[in-house]
Amino acid sequence: MAGRSYQTEAVVLRSFRLGEADRVLHLYTLAHGRVGAVAKGVRKTKSRFGARLEPLSHVEIALHRGSGDLQTVTGVELLRSHHEAREDYARLSIGLIGAEAMLRLFAEEEGNPRAFQALTRFLEVLDELAPAAGARPELDPLALAFQLKLLWLAGYLPHLTSCAECGAAEVPLVGYAPRAGGAVCRPCAGLTGALGLASAGLAGIEALLRRPLAEAGSAGVTERTARDALMVITSSYEYHGGFRLRTLSA
Amino acid sequence: MLSPSVDNLVAQLTRLPGIGTRTAQRLAFHLLRVPKDEALALAAAIVEVKERVRFCRECGNLTEEEVCAICLDARRDHSVICVVEQPADLLSLERTAEFRGLYHVLGGSLSPLDGVEPEHLRIDELLARVERNGVQEVVLATNPNMTGEATASYLADRLRGRVRVTRLASGLPVGGDLEYADEITLGRALAGRREM
Repeated sequence: MAGRSYQTEAVVLRSFRLGEADRVLHLYTLAHGRVGAVAKGVRKTKSRFGARLEPLSHVEIALHRGSGDLQTVTGVELLRSHHEAREDYARLSIGLIGAEAMLRLFAEEEGNPRAFQALTRFLEVLDELAPAAGARPELDPLALAFQLKLLWLAGYLPHLTSCAECGAAEVPLVGYAPRAGGAVCRPCAGLTGALGLASAGLAGIEALLRRPLAEAGSAGVTERTARDALMVITSSYEYHGGFRLRTLSA
Repeated sequence: MLSPSVDNLVAQLTRLPGIGTRTAQRLAFHLLRVPKDEALALAAAIVEVKERVRFCRECGNLTEEEVCAICLDARRDHSVICVVEQPADLLSLERTAEFRGLYHVLGGSLSPLDGVEPEHLRIDELLARVERNGVQEVVLATNPNMTGEATASYLADRLRGRVRVTRLASGLPVGGDLEYADEITLGRALAGRREM
């Protein structure tokens, strides 16, 4: 049937085995957002698609929408393989945090070009990243900056410039209250069950949000600041989405 | 719908990988049709394999003894260990008749999205074997996909400085045409080219 096949840019967020030689792919497409698809026979060594459909690959993909939930991959051209990110365990750990955040925050089949652009930019920066030996991926500035930007694009951006509970400006903000949707002043902190947040943490989160992803590493994020940013991110996930990322809880 | 025992058999068969309800029903009807001793032989084989087969204490391969035949074979090169994800990978490598060292079966590959972390694989056992047995080389033969490459990268980091670490080459399948090769495989084949 005409119109049921289409072509779009996509990033492979996740894949798992299906049957003897197939894979189920979780894709984030430019045209339709999150899409599930079956890639048939890609685990066979003679498959031309297999190497192009590894997680984190940025591809031009042809899909056919059948009657089931999963679409079928009918063609793939590689745009960026991002094998540099995949073949280093430290980089991959950061990449998979980003991929899981996309999977959970943008779960609908609805295109969001800005989210797609952020994802492809994240992967480009990740290819060049040199994580410090032994560094924890969940505290990496790039992983934190990408998740904060995704929260913003998903409409869950924490309000950090004035008290999110009473609206008071020009007061010190001392905590983060997911219920209020952002940072809160001292009097409101007790009322909202806020989590402690250092002023340096707030400044660090703002810097990560404001700067381009490529500059996340030079945003002056200390380990303490990174922990504060991670706390804001995880509590936003739990409060607004009701989920936790597996890649962050390892 | 047919009888509780047939329903139960179909339900149990459906739990096998790649078996849907329709296939499970076909298999159940086949088992009902065949002579009783043939069906019971299958049941006995399942019981036997579950009772007798265990993991080799040394390498994690399947065996009926404490230590598998490969680990006990004095003719093999005990200074080289080839690391694979599953026992089926070991069988594929044995079919080549090219490798005469020992194996180490990890029991899977690292996959943070699925919650598979280093402590879930037989990595500490590998490091202990390398330290204990004077191993000279570890060949990383995990699958050339994301989780396999991640596992190889992690193991290479852990083993670096202790032992020579090598990775299986990637390249073109024998008998294939160059024009059909994907760019990543072809790129790797070029990067790993050798002098003739």
